[in-house]
Amino acid sequence: MTVATQRAGGGGGSVERSGGGGSSGLADVIELILDKGLVIDVFVRVSLVGIEILTIDARIVVASVDTFLRFAEATNRLDLYGKGKGGAGLPDLVQGMTESGSKGKTTGVVEGAVEKVGEALTSRREERDEAPRRRPRQRAREQEEE
Amino acid sequence: MSPTYVYGVVAADTVLPQGLRGLGPSGAVSLIADGKLAAVVGDVPVDRPLGTRDDLVAHESVVDAVAGATTILPMRFPAVIEEAGVIDELLGPNEEFFLRALADLDGRVQYTVKGRYEQDVVLREVLEDDEELHALQELVRTLPEDASYYDRVKLGELVVAAIEQKREVDAAELYDRFEALAVAVVPHAPAQPEDVIDAALLIDRDDIDAFGEAVEAIGEAWSGRIRFRLLGPLAPYDFVASDAVETGA
Repeated sequence: MTVATQRAGGGGGSVERSGGGGSSGLADVIELILDKGLVIDVFVRVSLVGIEILTIDARIVVASVDTFLRFAEATNRLDLYGKGKGGAGLPDLVQGMTESGSKGKTTGVVEGAVEKVGEALTSRREERDEAPRRRPRQRAREQEEE
Repeated sequence: MSPTYVYGVVAADTVLPQGLRGLGPSGAVSLIADGKLAAVVGDVPVDRPLGTRDDLVAHESVVDAVAGATTILPMRFPAVIEEAGVIDELLGPNEEFFLRALADLDGRVQYTVKGRYEQDVVLREVLEDDEELHALQELVRTLPEDASYYDRVKLGELVVAAIEQKREVDAAELYDRFEALAVAVVPHAPAQPEDVIDAALLIDRDDIDAFGEAVEAIGEAWSGRIRFRLLGPLAPYDFVASDAVETGA
């Protein structure tokens, strides 16, 4: 079978699907290929220290103060919508509809996260890069990709 | 002596899909066969270290494009070895292990499923369930931002704990559903509080269509509360031993 992108809800559409073969986001890719699979050689891993630290960081961050503040903020924002609502009737319904309707919003969140990982990847790599002459070229390439 | 990039290991009679593009300067991807095994290989850029976004994506896309067609034992990024070593150090010394792994995974493919709460929906549930939380939220709202720092941290902490409690219940049910669909399941720890489930599923290729429909039905059933993403078909990253393979060096 061919590996085709099924992202745009090829089926019923309640599950977002992405095939392998390059159609996944960078965050998914990193999770798969840096974390798992057979290891044959530690030699080249040296040039990837930044990336490995990044993936570990991403996991430790889970229960941090930043996370708590993020949720506190989300909770408060929620109240602004809910303010003045009499019960859990119509406003909830409307809210639900707006949410399920705004596909762009949810996709945006996912892609935002992916970009953030991408950015961190770049900056970490540049931070510990001992060969500064590579930087301009590398940046130029990153920008091209944008 | 030239360095060779190894994407994965397949059965020797494998025919690579068209259009593969590797991370080396030539982009070429080919096979080096030895007995019943073959390594999926390509060239390596020699003027720079590996690890750009393009490198990562190229590795994954080659491995998973092959996985779409046949079983491949994926290498972890990055896997570089001398060309002569592909047979002498990789395929030769590990033949038995690779053959057994390929046989175990024959006709099977990995999918990864991720489920995440709709944030506003779960937050509303949490606030409605817990008077104390609701009161704390009211308090935080009346205080200026500077004065409410510790209360906000506290509020967030309680909210996260409440979401995690919900997750325990929901995840248990979801794992039951997914375990019934898969040959094997490897759970991953959730990375964020709103992540409900993140699991690698091993699926028989013959069952892929039915599996897709079943996942769609689960997504439908939880729609509005949990949003699912399904990645695949993927190489069986979570179902090969990740211990270092002997390189015979």
